Amino acid sequence: MKKNIKVMTAILLSVGLLAGCGTNNNTSGGTDTGNGTSNEKVTLNVWGMGEEAKTLPKLADEFTKENPNITVKVQALPWNQGHEKMLTAVASKKGPDVIQMGTSWIPEFAEAGVLTDLTPYLEQYPELKPENFYPGAVESAKYGDKYVGSPWYVETRVLYYRTDLLKEAGFNAAPATWDELSDAAKKLAARGDGKYGISIDPKEQSLGFMFSRQNGAQWFTEDGKPNFSDPKFVEAVEYLNSFFQNGSAPKDLGLDIIPAFKEGILPMFISGPWMIKLIQDQAPEIDGKWAMAVLPKKENNISLLGGSNLSIFEYSKNKDAAAKFIAYMSKPETQIKWMEETSSLPAATAAWENDMLKNDPNYKVIGDQLNAAQPMPVITEWSPISENYLKHFEVIYRNNVDVKKEMESFNNDATKMMK
Amino acid sequence: MRGFLNKQAPYIFIAPTLILLTLFSIVPILVALVISFTDMDLSGLANFDSISFIGFTNYTEVLADPVFLKAIFNTLFYVIIGVPLVILLSLSIALLINLGTSRIFKAFRVVYYLPSVTNIVAVAVVWSYLYNPSLGLFNYLLNLVGLPDVPWLTEPTIAKLSLILLALWKSIGLNMIIFIAALQGIPKSYYEAAQLDGANLWQQVTKVTIPMLRFAIFFVSITTMIGWLQFFEEPFVMTEGGPLDGTLSVALFIYQNGFKFNNFGYAAAGSFVLFVCIIAITLVQLRMQKNESDMT
Repeated sequence: MKKNIKVMTAILLSVGLLAGCGTNNNTSGGTDTGNGTSNEKVTLNVWGMGEEAKTLPKLADEFTKENPNITVKVQALPWNQGHEKMLTAVASKKGPDVIQMGTSWIPEFAEAGVLTDLTPYLEQYPELKPENFYPGAVESAKYGDKYVGSPWYVETRVLYYRTDLLKEAGFNAAPATWDELSDAAKKLAARGDGKYGISIDPKEQSLGFMFSRQNGAQWFTEDGKPNFSDPKFVEAVEYLNSFFQNGSAPKDLGLDIIPAFKEGILPMFISGPWMIKLIQDQAPEIDGKWAMAVLPKKENNISLLGGSNLSIFEYSKNKDAAAKFIAYMSKPETQIKWMEETSSLPAATAAWENDMLKNDPNYKVIGDQLNAAQPMPVITEWSPISENYLKHFEVIYRNNVDVKKEMESFNNDATKMMK
Repeated sequence: MRGFLNKQAPYIFIAPTLILLTLFSIVPILVALVISFTDMDLSGLANFDSISFIGFTNYTEVLADPVFLKAIFNTLFYVIIGVPLVILLSLSIALLINLGTSRIFKAFRVVYYLPSVTNIVAVAVVWSYLYNPSLGLFNYLLNLVGLPDVPWLTEPTIAKLSLILLALWKSIGLNMIIFIAALQGIPKSYYEAAQLDGANLWQQVTKVTIPMLRFAIFFVSITTMIGWLQFFEEPFVMTEGGPLDGTLSVALFIYQNGFKFNNFGYAAAGSFVLFVCIIAITLVQLRMQKNESDMT
């Protein structure tokens, strides 16, 4: 009897404890059954990433106006916490219905099988069809034979430069080739102490790969093995390293790019379209003194194609409503509205017929660059490989070691990861 | 009924703690132990069928991983320099504050304690500016007196020292409070007796205070040691382990492998290596303490 009471006490206490844990789950409301076509009330949980997601509720409200039976709850997560949140959602098999996926996340989560294949929804929601979007963006949303995300917005990297400072250095137009870029950076850095030519972000994974692709390097051999010690790849890394070694790019400046750009400390940098708005807002003083250009050319000037896709979480119970929401977000009209709010570029090609995109000189540059932009490979190992590249590149630019040897060691690491 | 309550009461009182400890510490540790023998990654997390046991492979690999060895070296560097400094500084500040009789000393207690309760993210923002190579206050002050810039966070060894400085600043307060509490527990009569025997202030401190604080010092050194072996927040918010893995600690290595690269099995193996090290070091300390108390 005594024993029984002991056990009972323990059970009672644990039940109380678990009940305490459980209450939170019930209020999240994502577990309603039903789908968007019936008149049943449905609540969609949407996870958006980064600063722009804070504007998403505006569009979500308009979606609810058209579909009164679907309420949308948006949760805005910072990019650096999104990955961890997703891991928790995968582990508990409970989470959002719709997730904004950075293109670099697609392979790992698709491999884990937590992103729903959108192919069955294409008939019902023609807005989702791949032919509506930039081919590169579609490529980044395909994993194997599955179509696991619908392109939402795209971004590509272009060159930002200070027209006034380049003119002083004798350049009337943006550097169009690698040699010109290097030459301009050197001349700009020669303006004096504390002035540099260009910002080469050593934390940016894609930069080395982008430049090597411009140099004509093949990242993988024909039988799919890493090929990062290829002379063309090494040459591109040497080119990037030369900016650090001849002092035209700072190793540790400790300044944000916009103030440095404004002060002319860093008169050139390579970045994505989100910088347009930031420069306009934070540095109105240099209005008219800066411009954008497509990337300088070596064998080609192919830039990185990135962006975000919208995916349906495999464990969602409202997949149909989720597809409807994504279809709404993919309409050219919605995409233009979204661009006006956040300056993210539409992934739907039809939206680019819009006057604002056609006539604005900045957007025109990005439109041009999008024609020469390709995504990074859609393989699960890519994310660790590109992280590993950064470590090797850090050794190169800080210690100025032999690039060929370091890249061979990088290639060995990559080969191990591909196994 | 009363007899029943009397007998059961202790179980009822410890039950919440025991249940919480089991649910949130012991069970997760056991799960991690199992995971450390598997090749669990993101697909394994979604679908348990794709996990397979791979024996000690994770352990042999992690112990041969140059990055992990570097992380161990860095962690030892933090512990060997940081822990004695924390104890020494917090003890001396506690003594000084305790000696003072003026009201201002009470205010200083708060001043020294404040960093311990400040959010690490806020601390990181402020200290990043202090250490900033272009805008930093520290380099500005150095330049004022004609000294060259110091690469606070951009040279591997100096970056480690900079993080130790930050962690010191943050952890002195809490330990100081523990020492002050212990100091106030020493009966006044001991000091009076010492004064009658003609002991000066220094002799009182070394012959009465320090021996009476033995247990407080022991407690602080064990908790500080364990805390510093798990050194994580400072490199996580300030440097992310860089430059050149110079500030990467074992705990940060585990975090990065687990949550950034999804190598859960590998990270679990790394965390068990750390776990065993902490247990071993704590046991050694306990043994040393036992020997010491046997002698007195």
